Amino acid sequence: MNSIEVKDLHKTYAGALVPSLQGLSFAFPEGSIVGLLGPNGAGKTTTISILCGLVKADSGTVKIFDLPQDAARREAVKRIIGIVPQQIALFPQLTAMENLTYFGNLYGFKGASLKQKITNYLEAFGLEKAAHKEVRKFSGGMKRRTNIIAAILHDPQLLVLDEPTAGVDVQSRSMILQFLREYNRQGKSVLYTSHLLEEAQQICEDIVIIDEGKLIIQGRPEDMIRQHADCRNLEEVFLLYTGHAVRD
Amino acid sequence: MLRLIATIRKEWLLLLRDKAGLALLFVMPVVLITVMAVIQDAPFKDYQEIKFDILTVDNDHGRLGRHIREGLGGTGQFNVIDTLQGAPLTEAQAQELIADGTYKICITIPKGATGEIVSNANKIVNDISKRMGIPAQLPVKAIASDSLAVQLYFDPAAKKAFKSAIRQALDNFLTQVQTDLLLERIQMQLRSRDSSVHDTFPTIRLKAVGLQETMIGKGKQIDVISNSVQHNVPAWSIFAMFFIVIPIAGNMIREREDGSLVRLKLIPGNYLSILAGKLLFFVGICVVQFYLMILVGLFGMPLLGLPKLQLGVDHLAGFITAVSIGITATAYGILIGTLFKTPNQALNFGAISIVILSAIGGIWIPLEVMPEKIQLIGRCSPLSWGLDAINDVYLRNGNIRLILPDIIRLLACGLLMLGIAARVEQRRIS
Repeated sequence: MNSIEVKDLHKTYAGALVPSLQGLSFAFPEGSIVGLLGPNGAGKTTTISILCGLVKADSGTVKIFDLPQDAARREAVKRIIGIVPQQIALFPQLTAMENLTYFGNLYGFKGASLKQKITNYLEAFGLEKAAHKEVRKFSGGMKRRTNIIAAILHDPQLLVLDEPTAGVDVQSRSMILQFLREYNRQGKSVLYTSHLLEEAQQICEDIVIIDEGKLIIQGRPEDMIRQHADCRNLEEVFLLYTGHAVRD
Repeated sequence: MLRLIATIRKEWLLLLRDKAGLALLFVMPVVLITVMAVIQDAPFKDYQEIKFDILTVDNDHGRLGRHIREGLGGTGQFNVIDTLQGAPLTEAQAQELIADGTYKICITIPKGATGEIVSNANKIVNDISKRMGIPAQLPVKAIASDSLAVQLYFDPAAKKAFKSAIRQALDNFLTQVQTDLLLERIQMQLRSRDSSVHDTFPTIRLKAVGLQETMIGKGKQIDVISNSVQHNVPAWSIFAMFFIVIPIAGNMIREREDGSLVRLKLIPGNYLSILAGKLLFFVGICVVQFYLMILVGLFGMPLLGLPKLQLGVDHLAGFITAVSIGITATAYGILIGTLFKTPNQALNFGAISIVILSAIGGIWIPLEVMPEKIQLIGRCSPLSWGLDAINDVYLRNGNIRLILPDIIRLLACGLLMLGIAARVEQRRIS
């Protein structure tokens, strides 16, 4: 079974001159860890927004573990998908514990079991000492790690991360990547976007490169590099397909 | 239910951490109603409580002048001044004092005014006697004066209503003196005709029917509308309750900007339950705000020498009104928070729109004194519905049935605003 199956996805935002997605299609199997890569404006965030039901596609289909992402099944999809948005989607004036307790309550968890679960995650991410500190006083790395915990409180089968390591220090990045590998090892699927191609090459089993709303190439990173004799790493493959022109 | 309670708890924690927001919601309104009640105390005071100085120049030295002076002094509203530095006031001095604004009004009783009234009364009595076959005996002036009038001088800055009230009072005194003298002359003529009943002749009484003032309503509140506390405390409380749009809209825009709204929408379950939690919390805050200000009206205002706020008899109706105003104010905040993209836009629009809605809705000055067209617009303001309902409960001792139309308007307006916000949010997703 595929964890994500996207077919012929089209999306043009109201008032936009250029479509964000133009027939994008890709799929990857359950239990894999996949990198969705592309230059700025390639359509990565739009794709993620459609995957989690925040934005409606003009046409095309999306299936999450064979469940169509439509109005009738949106709630079922939400239960099996965890999203880590690019923004720190937390309440800055609340402590990490208060934030996570609130989101846990919204998922239907409560009491001692929720508290234990939060404590375990805070320890796993090295945040146990900061549990009762307001999030606004956190460093960038601490915020990113708390942001991830908020997305996995309900143990989703598919974890989607939009640039989870942007703006964090080396230690935090290492911890986050280590967590993603561990999560994937438990049989969970992971889709993540990043501009750090070395990082993607390091942890992803599969890579999807998109540009101008279309699929450019999909495959294992080592296969992609091997196919192009003049490319020594994933970054060179990426530049080969997307060009050197600066995107805004 | 867990989602609802969790959201209320979350909003409570956010409010506790926002010291400026707490001050805006609870301290500022208390300061506002106190300041407004104190500075508007004098304009709201009954004319009965305020004494106006009136200059009187009595050139008549007769019954009319005495009656006017005693009549004005007897109302308790006027200080009659007829001397200046121990000497009788002259017309020229009085005109000067009015012209420079020292005094607002001067009454000049012309020389011979009482004589003129007596002569006129004698003439009427003689005419009647003659028709009845009784010989005319009372003296009458050979030539009646056409231009004799009590002269009034007003400060040009005096209010029209004030001038009208003075004119009416004087007209009343003149009529009374003329009637009294006429009746006296009739009595005198009748006595002179039948000298045997001289001592037992009954006094003629003209006033057979008088006036009595009775207030309508369950309680015994009299004239409470005419004090500053009774207008300002409920009116500015409603104004302050509507200012909750600022923290609500700011809260919603921040949630959208920092991405937490996205997370809330990604969590399974109806987003409406989260919105309902937010709505309940802020409605609760509005009600707490309202009763805090009512407490100030009950206990704080008397400490400042102002009257105590009267609460009517149906406290449940008062509570329902507070909740309904809270729902409408919160819904307005949610609408603004949905429509606007930045906190600055929402703050400016929210604050200015509330000031406008309150000005036309009778919060600053009662709707009844506004021009007719503005009144029509003002009656469309939710703040006016809220104030009407509060006045119905507090001043007219109204019950739930009396305030029902205003409550329905408030709730329907709140629902409409929530509906628009939901539609806008829906369109944003699609």
